[in-house]
Amino acid sequence: MSMKKNRALIFFFIAPTVICLLLMYVYPVLRTVAMSFFRVESVTADAGSWTFNGLANYDKIFHNASFITSMKNFLAIWIVGGVITLALSLLIAVILTSKIRFQGFFRAAIYLPNIVSAVALATMWVQYIFNYDYGLLNQLVTFLGFDKVRWLGTDAKLWAMIAAFIYGSIGYYMLIYISGIEGIPTDLYEAATIDGASKARQFFSITLPLLKGIVKTTITFWTINAATFYLWSKLFSPVQTEGSTIVPVIYLYDTVFGGKGVIERDAGAGAAVGVVLTLIIIAVYVITDRLLKSRDLEY
Amino acid sequence: MKKLLSLTLALVMVLSLGAFALADGGTEITYWSMWNEGEPQATVIAEAAEAYEAETGVHVNIEWKGRGVNELLTAALEAGEPIDIIEDDYNRIGNVYAPYTYDLTEMAEAAGYAEHSYPVLTDQVTGWAGCLNSIVEQPQVGGIFYNRDAFETAGVEELPTTWTEFLDVCAKLKDAGIAPLAQDGAYTNFTFYYHLVRYLGEDGIAELRDNGGWADNEKAVQAAQDIIDLVNAGYLVDGAPDEYPSSQNKVGTGEAAMVVCANYVTAEVDAVFGPQNWGLINYPAMDGGASADVVYVGANSLAVTSYSEHAQEAFDFIMFLVTGEYDQKMADTAGQIPADPDNTCAYLPTAVDTLKNTTAPMSWCGSLNTHPAWGDMKTLFTELFEGKYADGAAFCAAMDALY
Repeated sequence: MSMKKNRALIFFFIAPTVICLLLMYVYPVLRTVAMSFFRVESVTADAGSWTFNGLANYDKIFHNASFITSMKNFLAIWIVGGVITLALSLLIAVILTSKIRFQGFFRAAIYLPNIVSAVALATMWVQYIFNYDYGLLNQLVTFLGFDKVRWLGTDAKLWAMIAAFIYGSIGYYMLIYISGIEGIPTDLYEAATIDGASKARQFFSITLPLLKGIVKTTITFWTINAATFYLWSKLFSPVQTEGSTIVPVIYLYDTVFGGKGVIERDAGAGAAVGVVLTLIIIAVYVITDRLLKSRDLEY
Repeated sequence: MKKLLSLTLALVMVLSLGAFALADGGTEITYWSMWNEGEPQATVIAEAAEAYEAETGVHVNIEWKGRGVNELLTAALEAGEPIDIIEDDYNRIGNVYAPYTYDLTEMAEAAGYAEHSYPVLTDQVTGWAGCLNSIVEQPQVGGIFYNRDAFETAGVEELPTTWTEFLDVCAKLKDAGIAPLAQDGAYTNFTFYYHLVRYLGEDGIAELRDNGGWADNEKAVQAAQDIIDLVNAGYLVDGAPDEYPSSQNKVGTGEAAMVVCANYVTAEVDAVFGPQNWGLINYPAMDGGASADVVYVGANSLAVTSYSEHAQEAFDFIMFLVTGEYDQKMADTAGQIPADPDNTCAYLPTAVDTLKNTTAPMSWCGSLNTHPAWGDMKTLFTELFEGKYADGAAFCAAMDALY
């Protein structure tokens, strides 16, 4: 078959995918970016009804106290939640790849929250573990002779939500790290052991450097998870959006669709929030890619 | 084998064509409901649709969209999706979807709708949309919902009408070992807003929203101080403000006697603890405050799309649902106030009269919820009930700091 015919065939086979990608992914992205510069009330409004708004949507959201609060909450989730989740999941992954007993059981047990519906998981945390009257934590606190704690009070609610989210996320990142660690040739560890390197030294000198690519991936995944954080916030504030748990996507949702008792809608400002979040994710990816160069490592 | 397959396919085709032919014979209307299949409201609606079809021959095709219907409706209406009836919050239908809805004024007049509705709600609809663009259902009324048995135990004979009388009732309840008030964090904004309305009215609150100056407003400071005093007096149930619905459930367990909310709180508590002996108190008046006639009212409503080809049939089905037998069934099954004042509200007998007599409706925090810092304001309201402020002035200073 000639090269020309081959090309035509390749084009023919990839065309459906490319067309779907353009229609279902590229077009919405471009439309959202364009929308963020226009005054648009409804998310599906005909482009002919849009009014050019310049940077006013961005100005609006960056001068909106609720958006600022949501960004602060996002940062807390991203930084605090990220450090704890990634560090704990890496630690667990290292332990579970070090030939301990009942490896399979521990892997399954730690991954279990990921196969339980997030709605059920969050409900368990809100209505049982953090419950003021009969919650697990307050039973523990009173058993130790202390006063009950309002775990879901205004001061603690964000941290309570982050703690619950970490619990639900560790298993997923643990599996990624385990697959990375298992890809490292065992002879490297055997050689290091013969040379007298301790387990800690092996971790910092072999495991961690060779996991750079995986760490980069997990940071990007975590950033995406934190930026698109929605369900947990909704379940920790089920009746209406609260300042203590508001995150950018909740703000976006309320801006686009209105909230309880709120009928105002601004799809243009919502689009601006979406663009800002996308830029954050891209920025984090680029920075981590620069900082954690793994291309020079081969094994 | 091939023959059998061909025969089966041919049979399916013939039956399908037959079904289409049959379906073509009758009228069908499509209804996007805000309920989910299996919910009590949905069960009654489905029953009503069946009964309506048996009576008129009009088939109602119900699509259960759930509470997220508001995310779908604008796009669907803009695209001219074949829908005849939409259902959502009456405020949204009166404002957001108004351009896509049918003016029902003439049909309503012909059906004598005025006699089967609450003027306070229909006035809201016509005020927002400029015409009667929806028929109100499942009305809501706000105030202080109390357990009559708890009041009896505490020896409370007269219902409070002023804040001073309310505090006296709280004292009696506390002496009887019953916590006076349940309060979930999710509704602290509603309770404090109601309290502010009694001092300032919604217009007065709107002024504060636009210009700030909370700390300079004596009534705003006093309103916050009242809540601080209420907390300090120990009138909130243990754990309040709690995570919804933990605190309101304590009215069901008998630990608390009252809760400030809309009437759906009674259905929610009853669903967990069985029917309670509910009563409704209008939120008390404040000395030197604004009118105490203002009452929170809300509702869902049903509208006919402006492009419906079966507007009359759709309207008739709506009336079938919101009046008479099925409205009563809805009120009884779903624990709601009937949309038709001729029907009765078994679990909250005074609710119908309250709605009938209300002339001054209050919104759901409408004078504040458009403020850019509304989310942070709600946090401050919850902090107020958590007892975090030394006095009303400190709270109002924190409010001003949000501007």
